[in-house]
Amino acid sequence: MSAEIEKLSFEQALSRLEGIVKDLEDEKITLDDSIEKFELGVKLSSHCLEKLNEAEKKIEELTRSEDGSLTTKDLKLDD
Amino acid sequence: MEIENFTGMPLTREIYTVSRLNFEIRQNLEAGFAGILVEGEVSNFYCHNNKHCYFDLKDEYSKIKVVMFSEAGRKLDFRIEDGLHLILSGYVSVYEKRGEYQIIALSAEPAGKGALLLAFEQLKAKLDQKGYFDAAHKKPLPVIPERIGAVTSSGGAVIKDIITVLTSRYENFHLIVRNVNVQGPTSKEEICAAIDDLCEYGADVIIIARGGGSLEDLWAFNTETVAEKIYHCPVPVISAVGHETDYTICDFVSDVRAATPSVAAGMVIADKKEIVRNIGLLLKNAKKSVDDRIFLLKKELNFLASSRIFKNPEILLAARRQDFDFLQRRLNERANEIFKSRKQLFERTSDVFSMNRVSDRITLKRIMTSNLYARTGTAIKARCADLKNSVKTAIAALQSNSPVSVLEKGFCLTMDIDEKKIIRSVKSAQTGDKIKVFLKDGALLSEVLEIISKKIGYKE
Repeated sequence: MSAEIEKLSFEQALSRLEGIVKDLEDEKITLDDSIEKFELGVKLSSHCLEKLNEAEKKIEELTRSEDGSLTTKDLKLDD
Repeated sequence: MEIENFTGMPLTREIYTVSRLNFEIRQNLEAGFAGILVEGEVSNFYCHNNKHCYFDLKDEYSKIKVVMFSEAGRKLDFRIEDGLHLILSGYVSVYEKRGEYQIIALSAEPAGKGALLLAFEQLKAKLDQKGYFDAAHKKPLPVIPERIGAVTSSGGAVIKDIITVLTSRYENFHLIVRNVNVQGPTSKEEICAAIDDLCEYGADVIIIARGGGSLEDLWAFNTETVAEKIYHCPVPVISAVGHETDYTICDFVSDVRAATPSVAAGMVIADKKEIVRNIGLLLKNAKKSVDDRIFLLKKELNFLASSRIFKNPEILLAARRQDFDFLQRRLNERANEIFKSRKQLFERTSDVFSMNRVSDRITLKRIMTSNLYARTGTAIKARCADLKNSVKTAIAALQSNSPVSVLEKGFCLTMDIDEKKIIRSVKSAQTGDKIKVFLKDGALLSEVLEIISKKIGYKE
């Protein structure tokens, strides 16, 4: 299950977390199911938080070079 | 020898044909007026079969004929009509057949605010009718885009505003800027190429941004070319062109319109602090649901545990005990009933088989048997007598019918000499045959003297 969560995008993990919260509010759920779902929810939320911090700040400028390929370089802002 | 030139004309006269003259004028004009821009108002507009367009371009004092061929006409973002102010680009040429000079227009753009507004309204109506602004076609924005694309001038205030807002919301964002001229003749093609490049590079959302400006300045964002590109763009597009009050075709066709570039940056990525807070809230809700549930179940359990049955289990046992007693009693009663009825049956049966009754029955059977014997003997004797009589009668009947008894009566039997055949008819004998005639006490050997075909007892 953990490996499966690792592959989720931020949006997918968040929407599953929202789904779990909704499921848990359903009174028909059994205690075993609710505990299992809660544990899954904890894993999903930590995956979401990881996703938020995993990217690195980057500001690039994209150009198409003469040979037709795309290249990027850091954007220089004139002050 | 030189001929005198009375008229002042050159002696070696070069005479043009009309065609040649028009041809050379055409060459001169095309060379002299190549790549010009000319501004004027359209009149006498005429479009032949919706293909090549012919009109006059005029100003206060003068006018000139214009032709725009269909290839050029198709590229226009608006419809040319009388009264429209245009800037044409093209060259001057001659229609040699008629000796008329004219502008061959290669492209046209509306000139002046009125013309631009007209073109804007035309295009807006056209795209609206094609469904390009329909809400159903709008794509949702990603919450956390991995690569934010920006189509704008990389050297202006706009990009700085965008970066400032992004940094305040989500410090580790990834922005890819694709620099374009946001106005001028090449602008629309550059914008289209930038959108393609960003999609190819993997942007998952694109901001198209430009600061405020006049309608002319913003014109690239009001062209059909750019509108088509945005409409078919596979990733969501946020349009932030001009000031809050400026509306462009780009705004209408994009998935989201932002009033300014800063607003666009505020929409393109969620606020990280807010997201973290929201996730915390979700988890808190989840925990609360589970806690509530456990609390509720515990309460239920306590309630059950404190019920009378768990406190005094003997209550349950007492009832069972009573059940048991009752059943046992029923069992005994039933067993007695069965025993009684079986006993009665047995007594009745043994009475039938008591000894006295058996010997009486044997005596009776003996008497019946001796009677039967006597009756059988009488019957057999009577039957024998009957049979004897029947035999006697049969023998008498047999005797009266035998040939021997017939002979006794005086009849005779005629046979051939060998005694093999009985001669029954005169036809069986011939005159001279020897025959034997049997009588009751012997036979006469006879010879047929004559055959008389006459039956006994018949008169001739």
